[in-house]
Amino acid sequence: MHFSENKHREMSDNDLLRYSRHIMLPEIDFEGQQKLLAAKVLIIGAGGLGSPAALYLSASGVGEITIADHDKVELNNLQRQIAYDEDSLGQSKVSSCAHRMENINSGINVLQLDEKLTGRQLLSQVAAVDVVLDCTDNLSTRFEINQACVAHNKWLVSAAAIRWEGQISVYHCGSQQSPCYHCLYGMRAAGSKESSQNFSNSYSNSYSNSCSNNGILSPVVGVMGSMQAIEVIKLIINKGDSLMGRVLLFDALSMQWESMILAKNPDCSVCANA
Amino acid sequence: MNITLKCFAGLKRHLPPHAKANAAVVEVGAEMSVHQVIDLFKIDREEAYLVILNGVFVCPPDRDSTILQENDTLALWPEVAGG
Repeated sequence: MHFSENKHREMSDNDLLRYSRHIMLPEIDFEGQQKLLAAKVLIIGAGGLGSPAALYLSASGVGEITIADHDKVELNNLQRQIAYDEDSLGQSKVSSCAHRMENINSGINVLQLDEKLTGRQLLSQVAAVDVVLDCTDNLSTRFEINQACVAHNKWLVSAAAIRWEGQISVYHCGSQQSPCYHCLYGMRAAGSKESSQNFSNSYSNSYSNSCSNNGILSPVVGVMGSMQAIEVIKLIINKGDSLMGRVLLFDALSMQWESMILAKNPDCSVCANA
Repeated sequence: MNITLKCFAGLKRHLPPHAKANAAVVEVGAEMSVHQVIDLFKIDREEAYLVILNGVFVCPPDRDSTILQENDTLALWPEVAGG
């Protein structure tokens, strides 16, 4: 389907052995694994969500993974950011994460962007891949990533986590009925078309909701980042039902999931006319 | 009329004592809007950013005009944006 223009590579005997547990799955088989090997993915944010997503996609044989982050590894990251260990402290996240990914699977191509992706650079990187994973930690970056994905008609697999809670969905404005991230959180975007309206006044201030302010249970980001990897694989092999049009919410403290239908907002300032 | 109110994460503190597993059947006035119910339980509108009525997200602009019906389920979650 959507990724068919990527060139498939022949699998070696080692590839067949390495990916044998994937190939056993009828939904993947040889064809699906070849699609994974031919796919190009961009992971923005190499923290709590990006770590498990990057490691699982590397192990799964996604052929080209670009990982972007501008931070260095700090001690408080090691509580949840499983791509790193104590030897990583002080190193750039992308170089340390890429090293770990390549150690897991030397047969894939890992590209490093040790910078804060924004503006034209963000747009060009998004344009170059099949799927984007939003693994960032703040709303303003999430809005910009969403806009870039809408502009280039790219699949966006977006997850978030804080305290004991997680959230994940899939967006693709090329699909007529798909909402975008702005349809969900647009009221938080200060200065947006919507926030100028009276009813949004109580939703558009600077409500702070980051892990550094609120804390995060370590495995919650592991669960959500791993689910991002699952959704990416499903999109690449074009099997199963994606989360497009639905948002899954996870409350680890009560161990409950809630599935929410999210409709496209016909007045969305980002995707309504895309 | 009765509805089921579900509150997750930090919003759970707003549920009445008889709540079980993040949910309670509560009595609200007829023809109350989503916002009126949220206000009735003294829940901060901003904190309850994700409002789900019978499994469907209710956009903030629609929360004054969306009227609850008997036996509806209203679920409230805080915003989730970290990572």
